[in-house]
Amino acid sequence: MTHKANILVVDDEEAILELIQAALARLGYRVTCAHDGNDGVKKIKAEKFDLAIMDIMMPGMDGITALGEMKKIDPEIEVIMATGHGTMSTAVQSMRKGAFDYLHKPFQPSQLIAVVERALEKRKFNDITKAIFSTIKPDELPRIIIDSAMRILKADEAFLALAGRDGRLGIEVSDGLDTPEQKAARLDLCARLASRFEADGAKAMALLENLSEDKALAGVKGIEEIKSAILLPLLEDNKLTGLIAINRRKEEEYFNENDLQRAKIFGSLVNLALRNANLYRQLQETQSQLIQAEKMSALGQLAGGLAHEINNPLSGILGLTQLVLENSDPAGQNFKDLKDIEKAVFRCKRIITSLLSFARQEKFHAEPINVNEALEETLTLCARQMELKHIRIVRDFGEALPPARADFQQLMQVFLNLLTNAKDSIPESGAITITTRPAHMGNGRDAVAVSIADTGAGIPQELLNRIFDPFFTTKPVGKGTGLGLSVCLGIVNRHSGTITAKSEPGKGSVFTLELPV
Amino acid sequence: MKKILLVDDEDMVRNYVRRALSSRGWEVVEAVNGAAALEALRTTEFAAMICDLKMPDTRGEEVIKEAAATRPDMKIIVITGSVSDISNLIEPGIAAAGFLLKPFGIDEIRDLAEKVIGKVE
Repeated sequence: MTHKANILVVDDEEAILELIQAALARLGYRVTCAHDGNDGVKKIKAEKFDLAIMDIMMPGMDGITALGEMKKIDPEIEVIMATGHGTMSTAVQSMRKGAFDYLHKPFQPSQLIAVVERALEKRKFNDITKAIFSTIKPDELPRIIIDSAMRILKADEAFLALAGRDGRLGIEVSDGLDTPEQKAARLDLCARLASRFEADGAKAMALLENLSEDKALAGVKGIEEIKSAILLPLLEDNKLTGLIAINRRKEEEYFNENDLQRAKIFGSLVNLALRNANLYRQLQETQSQLIQAEKMSALGQLAGGLAHEINNPLSGILGLTQLVLENSDPAGQNFKDLKDIEKAVFRCKRIITSLLSFARQEKFHAEPINVNEALEETLTLCARQMELKHIRIVRDFGEALPPARADFQQLMQVFLNLLTNAKDSIPESGAITITTRPAHMGNGRDAVAVSIADTGAGIPQELLNRIFDPFFTTKPVGKGTGLGLSVCLGIVNRHSGTITAKSEPGKGSVFTLELPV
Repeated sequence: MKKILLVDDEDMVRNYVRRALSSRGWEVVEAVNGAAALEALRTTEFAAMICDLKMPDTRGEEVIKEAAATRPDMKIIVITGSVSDISNLIEPGIAAAGFLLKPFGIDEIRDLAEKVIGKVE
């Protein structure tokens, strides 16, 4: 570890200041001196210290008062009190005010160093706890966990492996492992050890030494590189969901009792933090679903009334326009203008129809259907348009898919909208790949997954969370109603399914549906 | 000459539907609301009635029910601005010969009228 702590020493006796400074500076710590309580508090205000060592009896502001002031300024600072009188009452008082520990004068440098190291150890743990718990974003947490593990346990390599949907462990984040081969070998090691955790009720962490002599591990590549290893199981509802492995290599020392103690505390922290992150993710998902549902219901109410109010005058515009058209000279300007009006009416009609089909809350007819068949029928519908644009359709249909519970017509509508979007996003020629597979949904239900991937323009990251919003469109004015994906979302929600989008601008987009069986 | 009763509270709609049909030889009588429609039904015989559903005084459904009871031979065409209105109509067991969803064009109403009551000779 390169970072050495920043320590403040506060004492009115010059000799003691010098003694403490010398002892700590020799160990590489940065030491600053203050001559009384006031001076000490001022220095804490001006600079960030990890630790303060402070005399109690000082002229001006005494140590106990200064301790209180310092904690107010920086609650995280650890303070060790030094007392020449040795009365228990001042010691107790300082502990109550939040001191880390106290030292009786006169003390030996070794005593001083022991308590300083303990205090700094606590600091380090506090910092790490803070880092782990202030990061609830699930995607940042694994990196912080592994960085912390490397620091706390002075390891040469560490990695976090999490179980995927199929139950197999995969490395999420690692440090000190350079090649894919190395990672694969470490995973092999974990897989063999996982059974031991399960036999153990997945509770205990393991300390492993002399791994190359362990028969169960024979043949694991690179095992001779590891001198000492700590394995921390990650649990959810008493089931093993992952592992943290922290290893020291040949040249290093074995892990000792202290290290194990720290690893245990660290392990329980990580378990907690991961659970928090998981809950946070669920909360976010629920929140966005609620917002989406709210939007849809508002739009539904609006659409019903709107459609009726608008369709009547629209009908008048359409009918009268056509009547005048019948009596116009097809070569004249009037005829052309009226044709434009007629076209505009049809556009309005299309918008209202999509709006209504998006908002319609009526019961739909769900029955076990073959998703591949629904896709084939939809493809027949749009085959001509695809051909015209030189788009190749790649069918990667799963065999023996379980039947999904769905409304065939509505599902075709979803596929048609997705395929049309895919087609429109492809500038000249390209391909659309349709994949169907059996799947499991987040809530554990069996499902059929359908993904439609195009080689089109893609969607910029900042627009991705808006694409399902009603009236959001990237197509030119008049081209799209901005309702296609909202309609898809409405239909998929009514099927208790999910729809998600991923995209890489310039490379294309993938829309994935999950429909419960 | 075949007579058609056209019931709609929207002037513009009555205007174009009447002209679209009368130019094909039908005689179209207009009613601006449910009461006027019922009055016309009492005095005149129609081959068909084209009826809107949402009107300020009477609901179109009531007019249609009444018409179906007193004039069982008359054909009924429903025109409406929203699909959900049509699904309401199915409930009381009203048999309409045809439906048109607004906005519809002049050829659509001509074609439907021809299909339902036949061409004017």
